[in-house]
Amino acid sequence: MLVVLQGMQLEARGVATKDSLRSIAIEAISGMQYDVIRFQVTPGETVALSLTNKDDMAHNLVITAPETREAVVNAALALGAKGPERDYIPESEQVLWTIPVTYPGEKKAITFQAPKKAGAYPYVCTYPGHGFLMYGVMYVTKGDEGMPDLAKDLNVPEARRREQPAKRPHPYDLSPPYWYRVFLEGTSLASIAVHLPHQLSFCWDTERCQLRYAWEGGFLDNTDLWHGHKNAYAKILGTIFFRDPVTEPIRFDDTEALPPVVYKGYRIRDQYPEFHYTVAGKDVFELIKELPGKNGLIRTIRIPDAGGPVWFRFDHASGVTHRFSAGVIQHDKVRLTAAEAQNFTIQMIKQEKP
Amino acid sequence: MNPILRIPIFCLAFITLAMSCSRDTQPSSSYVVETIPMPTDLDAGTGGLAFLPDGRLAACFTRGEVMIYHPEQHDWKVFAKGLHEPLGLWVVNAHELLVMQRPELTRLKDTDGDGEADLYEKVTDDFGLSGNYHEFNYGPVKDKKGNLFIALNTASYGGKIQPNPRGEVNTLGRDGEDGRHQMFSAVPYRGWVMKQTPQGKLEPYASGFRSPNGMGIDPEGNLFVTDNQSDWVETSTLYHVKEGHFYGHPASLIWKDGWDQGSPFDLPITELDQMRTKASVYFPHGIIANSPTQPVWDTTGGKFGPFAGQLFVGEMNHKRIVRVMLEQVKGEFQGACIPFLDNQGLPIGNNRLAFAPDGSLWIGQIAHGWSGDQGIRRVTFTGKQPMDVYRMSLTKNGFDVIFTRPLDPAIALNKNHYRIRHYHYAYRKKPFDEPIDHSQQSNVQPIGIKELHLSEDGKTVSMELDSLKAGYVYELELNNITSKDGIPAANQFVCYTLNNLLE
Repeated sequence: MLVVLQGMQLEARGVATKDSLRSIAIEAISGMQYDVIRFQVTPGETVALSLTNKDDMAHNLVITAPETREAVVNAALALGAKGPERDYIPESEQVLWTIPVTYPGEKKAITFQAPKKAGAYPYVCTYPGHGFLMYGVMYVTKGDEGMPDLAKDLNVPEARRREQPAKRPHPYDLSPPYWYRVFLEGTSLASIAVHLPHQLSFCWDTERCQLRYAWEGGFLDNTDLWHGHKNAYAKILGTIFFRDPVTEPIRFDDTEALPPVVYKGYRIRDQYPEFHYTVAGKDVFELIKELPGKNGLIRTIRIPDAGGPVWFRFDHASGVTHRFSAGVIQHDKVRLTAAEAQNFTIQMIKQEKP
Repeated sequence: MNPILRIPIFCLAFITLAMSCSRDTQPSSSYVVETIPMPTDLDAGTGGLAFLPDGRLAACFTRGEVMIYHPEQHDWKVFAKGLHEPLGLWVVNAHELLVMQRPELTRLKDTDGDGEADLYEKVTDDFGLSGNYHEFNYGPVKDKKGNLFIALNTASYGGKIQPNPRGEVNTLGRDGEDGRHQMFSAVPYRGWVMKQTPQGKLEPYASGFRSPNGMGIDPEGNLFVTDNQSDWVETSTLYHVKEGHFYGHPASLIWKDGWDQGSPFDLPITELDQMRTKASVYFPHGIIANSPTQPVWDTTGGKFGPFAGQLFVGEMNHKRIVRVMLEQVKGEFQGACIPFLDNQGLPIGNNRLAFAPDGSLWIGQIAHGWSGDQGIRRVTFTGKQPMDVYRMSLTKNGFDVIFTRPLDPAIALNKNHYRIRHYHYAYRKKPFDEPIDHSQQSNVQPIGIKELHLSEDGKTVSMELDSLKAGYVYELELNNITSKDGIPAANQFVCYTLNNLLE
């Protein structure tokens, strides 16, 4: 009654396909699901069914009598301590055909005669915890009868019935400025991406305590990152127009030595984050906004107690033109007095490409 | 035993199982599970739950929100947003929370009293990040001295080290070029529990953790951490965590002060075994829990039912949480675990737990790419005494099993109503080809009951066993145990971790 074939044998059988043999290949994939969530066979037809596990967890596949999927899942859970030795498959008349526990990378298969009686025969992974999410259905139908409308098919997991209608990503509307701490490329892993009005965004690095780059266009696609269970970065949905080649632009001396920087946090001021950090032990506050009327950013930097001159280094090839509200420009740096450094701004105007 | 004789016994066992299954689906009237309405469009993967002193609930969700729920007004408000995978919350006061993000432990303060945090202060980020998806951070919990504890997950062989790591990279904490099937620690203090002192310094505290997604401090100040089954963790565990101890997963050892022994994965197993501190409680895989989460102590003084002082632990893969009954033997914690709330409406994915001031237990669900669910459930005790194992305690030659309700002597003293096995979970390196969620019990033996005795009040069954051996889990199966007034026991399996015998 139950024939378990190795994958190779199934492939061999597949070659000698007869009219009466229906081959169905199902994969267990990440996200606690089968890739195939439903298929159709005719009554009495020979079905060759394989399960290939492409997930990183173990799965099985149990075909049950119509409308007994949940009962079988619960009976499998009730196996308790005996579960592992029985492949988490309960002894029950409701269990029709089974593919035992299939470990990642394995493929197992069975062949069976489809029921004579038409109906919806569920298949489900009865591994503990999986059965409530991981299932599908075999429709035994005569002639031209099709399967029900997928959107209304209660025999497949709800999440698979249709493309989910567009939802807001959060329980509130997002209007700039708003931000995410996310993994981004081209900066440290501890960075903050801020979306500003006028389709502008920037990345602020808490490790180096500086603005790393800015882009225009869309903001971020966090789908991969939010999914979890694999390495991912948030994707930047725009064009980067500024990248700072300078490491730690704020200096309290005019040497090449990098001062120690320590990130402290941020305070929300008028909806924008104002970053707080120390450079060589001195407090620095930095607020970055869109530049009104121009294409670019404006940074407001406050160093309440510089105790001496402050240098701000910049690079002419960073993609923007820098305009300082105070200080003396010395080629690729500006020198500010302690008084000027208490509150100054830097306009960063996007350079149009020649 | 004659194999022919075995068949009817086997059939009998199956019938009792089937019966108990249908019995278990009857909801108990001792507890009610209700689903908390969640805000529209919230992706409600719950990373943290904690109550404010005024009875409102703070919760954080994996897409970066911290929200506050008013239980009477059924109303959610945003407290903070934009956080990176927050997986733990600690309430300082009604205006201030600590939240454990991926890159940082952060203090969120509402300084202007508008109900939303406006100050996001770094508490510490003095630990490594490799960018590997599995480097989750847990906690914080706080002890009486004001120390905060956080736990740093190891990285998964299923993902690489990203090109922009934070902290020193040392691949000695990684087994082989591709990481094989073992979790790894390539940046500082992955696989450690860390202590943040009141002076603001983050110090390594204890090592040897794999995936410690659950921290709690008992009312006496003992720190407990759960860990998840797989490589080096043969079945999931509850550890009593002490400073300087090593709990078994080798990867983290490379960050031990003065470590000079090369790859910890290459040390002889006997050496690692001698170094490690064993779990206080093993959660048998597939029987009790596959992926335990946060432990919380029932400090409700009876508002949550008869289990005051005991410990409840979340579980990802079953529609349940787990109850733990600890006791101290030879000065060390050990004890029993038993399912809680099976078939009473809890989903899977039970990740975070918090007791409300009114004594109800709130449980937040998560999936995050694994098997799980979303949302928050509230569990309330109805006042009806459940019929369950109240505790299971080691005796000189067996166990005392104390029930919440008196038993009928005819049932309680009939050996056929009990079945005991013991088994061992070996400490071992996972073979290369073995699946990650394969857990192996070794030396599984049925243990005979010599004698049964029932206390005068009918609640304590004393079991004298044929043998009792340290280093084993004792699994007690209850078959059709009912109270004197006919209420079936809520659970069938209770598993006692016997590390130490009584003197």
